[in-house]
Amino acid sequence: MLIAANVGEDVFRAVLQGTPPGAVFALIALGFVLTYKTSGVFNLAFGAQAYVSAAMYFKAKVEWEWPTFWAFFISVILLAPAIGLLLERIIFRHLRTAPAVAKLVVAIGLTVAIPALFELLAGFEAVAGQTPQGILPDGASVFYDPFGVYPWSRNELAQLLVAVTAMLLLGAMFRYSSIGLSMRAVVESPRLAELAGVNSNRVSSLAWGISSLFAGLSGVLIAPRFNTLAAPDFFNIMVVAIAAAAIGKLVSLPWAVVGGLGLGITISLFTTFLPRWSDDLSWLRPFQENLTPSLPFVVLFGIMVLWPGIRQSIDSTDPLSGVDPPPPGLASSARSKRLTNVTRVTAILIIGICAFWVFAKADVGWMFLVTQAVIMSTIFLSITVITGFAGQISLCQASFAAMGGFAVFQLADRWDIPVLLGALIGAAIAAAVGALLALPILRLGGVWFAIATLAFAFFFDSVMIKFSWVGGGDTSLLQGTRVDRPDMFGIDFNNDKSFLLLVIVVFIIASFLVVRVREGTVGRTLQALRGSEVAAESIGISPVRVRVTAFALSAAIAGLGGSLLTIQQENVNYAGNFAPFAGLFWTVLVVTLSARTVEGAVMAGVSFGLFERAVLRNVFQLSGKWRFVLFGLAASQYARHPEGILEYGKGRSFGRLDALLDRWDPRSSRSGDESSSESEEPTVDGDSAADVDGAKTGGTR
Amino acid sequence: MTTLLEARGIAKDFRGIRALSEVDLTVEEGERVGLIGPNGAGKTTLFNCLSGVLQPNRGQVMFDGADIGNLAVNRRALLGIGRTFQRLELFNDSTVREHLLIAERVRLGTGSMWKDLLGLGRPTSDEIKVCDELLDLLGLGEIRDEPIEALSLGQGRLVEVGRALVTRPRLLLLDEPSSGLDREETATLARTLRDVQEQQGFAILLVEHDVELVADFTERTYVLDFGQLLASGTTDEVLADPAVRRAYLGDADLT
Ligand SMILES: Nc1ncnc2c1ncn2[C@@H]1O[C@H](COP(=O)(O)OP(=O)(O)OP(=O)(O)O)[C@@H](O)[C@H]1O
Ligand SMILES: [Mg+2]
Repeated sequence: MLIAANVGEDVFRAVLQGTPPGAVFALIALGFVLTYKTSGVFNLAFGAQAYVSAAMYFKAKVEWEWPTFWAFFISVILLAPAIGLLLERIIFRHLRTAPAVAKLVVAIGLTVAIPALFELLAGFEAVAGQTPQGILPDGASVFYDPFGVYPWSRNELAQLLVAVTAMLLLGAMFRYSSIGLSMRAVVESPRLAELAGVNSNRVSSLAWGISSLFAGLSGVLIAPRFNTLAAPDFFNIMVVAIAAAAIGKLVSLPWAVVGGLGLGITISLFTTFLPRWSDDLSWLRPFQENLTPSLPFVVLFGIMVLWPGIRQSIDSTDPLSGVDPPPPGLASSARSKRLTNVTRVTAILIIGICAFWVFAKADVGWMFLVTQAVIMSTIFLSITVITGFAGQISLCQASFAAMGGFAVFQLADRWDIPVLLGALIGAAIAAAVGALLALPILRLGGVWFAIATLAFAFFFDSVMIKFSWVGGGDTSLLQGTRVDRPDMFGIDFNNDKSFLLLVIVVFIIASFLVVRVREGTVGRTLQALRGSEVAAESIGISPVRVRVTAFALSAAIAGLGGSLLTIQQENVNYAGNFAPFAGLFWTVLVVTLSARTVEGAVMAGVSFGLFERAVLRNVFQLSGKWRFVLFGLAASQYARHPEGILEYGKGRSFGRLDALLDRWDPRSSRSGDESSSESEEPTVDGDSAADVDGAKTGGTR
Repeated sequence: MTTLLEARGIAKDFRGIRALSEVDLTVEEGERVGLIGPNGAGKTTLFNCLSGVLQPNRGQVMFDGADIGNLAVNRRALLGIGRTFQRLELFNDSTVREHLLIAERVRLGTGSMWKDLLGLGRPTSDEIKVCDELLDLLGLGEIRDEPIEALSLGQGRLVEVGRALVTRPRLLLLDEPSSGLDREETATLARTLRDVQEQQGFAILLVEHDVELVADFTERTYVLDFGQLLASGTTDEVLADPAVRRAYLGDADLT
């Protein structure tokens, strides 16, 4: 009796405790569904937007000493919707017909760029390390206890009341205002609404304004939960909101609210009960410590994997979706042989000069950066495989790289296995995990695949690395046990020059293999799948099999590169190298430059390793954060130039060169090369086919 | 003749909209069968149900005596169902020949990642020969190294046909192969198809709006209207049927 009563009380307490953050999750989830339904954008950047508003509020309050109202006004009422409207107007409005994956890449770029941009422009450093304050004075120290079970702090009450009010206002707007009605119509069926004459530009602006307002509001409300103000925490909140929205299958506003509240309450139920169970069941303890923070990711992952209906529900909720023409295919670039040769010669020359300089002249610092650049290029080859060849966005490449790094350490630490052998084993482990991970999520399709890998990255980050057999727990590895470099073939790789030589050799072998895969069955099969999945299947290609292969290969390369990075730094340095956010930035970087080519990976590696020091600091005297801004914003070009700005720029500037060479080259036949030099923006098949379909609706011919 | 494909009672709804209701259809080995009907009659939907792109709500699809209703598109393709698409489905970034080469590799089933890594993944000379012969036959030999983006719609259709033929289908589903082709190209296509078919002996199920082509090319014809089978029989009979002419041809524009 007594126990039962206690349990009931505990549940009630957990509900009370979980409701305020749940309401905030619900608020972001609502915004997420709104933008997704009105513009088809999976806006991961809401987390970044929430951070910006929270930091702005805090700065105005603490540094400028503004009164609460005005601080709130500028950060939430003005800034938050302004960011949303701006993004809609200058970026997403033009991407309406772009493929969903391309929009996702743009959103990832913004996730990387926005926090850095505002930190630079608005100078958030001043408030970075401090504990955030809520919108009510003494928010964390005054409590109210209406039920005698769980005292709500003022901050929590503010979260609950403001979030609920905002949701009620949204509901009222949907019900009573004409623009709200149109918006509801669009959310229910964008195509039907369009036919009914709804101005979709207005609706999508409004949706972006409201959802960004909600994101900013959520940021300011939720900030007091964190000890310090830091962008990654807000990104986690975004993932919670995606999980909440996924409960409503991304389409239902009421279910998104239920999902948000439900997640808030579930999390607090776990924090209440898990410790108690784990008193009796000791094997639960690591989970108790680690699972709670990662619960949203587990939920998100679980929903996607265990609920296969989710994908279909997204594809076919619109009754008119069947009549939509397919999104135009990604523009493609055909390259002429000669252009490739010119690039190669140039590249070899440049690399030769650089190599000479590095080996003859460079100091320790440069040496370190150059080595890192080569290793990162190896890691980035993994993105070449999964994104460039398979056309999929994976956001957990950093986790695979970390697996390689951890493997080297564990093996060297426990069994004295040489680090290079450890690196190969690490690559194999990453490949196995990649294959296992790929099996359930590959059927999900483009955007969901990316989100599932993101969930995995966070799961790995918050749970897996804490196990002693993975990341070494609180002990050694995370805090920097040294791992010695090898001494092989009479070469001592503790010497930085010989180590650089080693990583260059590894990179060359890896890129050689990657090119072979591209030209081989796997690469050509992936190319077919990228072009048209249904047509590829119709000639007998099994999408799952080849994609699992590609993902495993990609994971292996990332694992190999990660272990090299570890060997170079003689330390895993997980937080600095392999945190989920790093993985986002990697993807953005490679995709922006060129995901399809080995040169792209090299350029990305060089940018990662050297751009900050060589260009930003030495030439422009700018903060290193600008690279996040530059590459993040440049990623918005992905929708238009999926081959990357490197390839695109090369195509353009060498187009003229090509024409010039034509004049000199007597053997060249004009007709053969014309297509390649002029195919910067070739006509897309989808378009012409759609025209024919349209022309035919008139009836029989 | 033995029955190659037998569809029984195929029904398909799209959120309450009935696209197909209880359609029966058979194709004998080596036969040429037409499938006609006005726009929106459900022809493409039926193709999708046969090839596995869509799962019908009810009904059974038998191929060569076995129920293939639960097989994925690629499994059915390997059994011998090839198809083309009404709205072109080509592989971006590929040349014409690459479309056929990959199909040939998949048919042979000799590819693997390990072979790729050893540098054995490139097209073999045998594969290239097979594909080039077919390309020549289809009149695409001249443009075999062109990127697919540079092709006209009609050439694109031919590439799709070639790609499907490389898989050596036992049944070829053609969804409006003549749309986008001019009269001459259509005639060439029909001739080529008949040649290849005589060589290889596969069956063809042809969806076509070009009634002349259907009359010319097929032995039997099914007529769909609003998802229901309106008529079936020899092509001559069906095209002469007044009900068909009313539903499909409007008035007499074929005499
Ligand atoms: N994926 C889909 N979702 C919803 N409805 C669909 C879908 N595909 C087809 N339909 C509907 O099913 C019906 C049959 O379409 P189908 O494309 O099979 O016709 P069709 O006979 O091929 O026409 P056409 O001659 O124009 O090619 C149409 O009303 C169409 O709108
Ligand atoms: Mg059709």
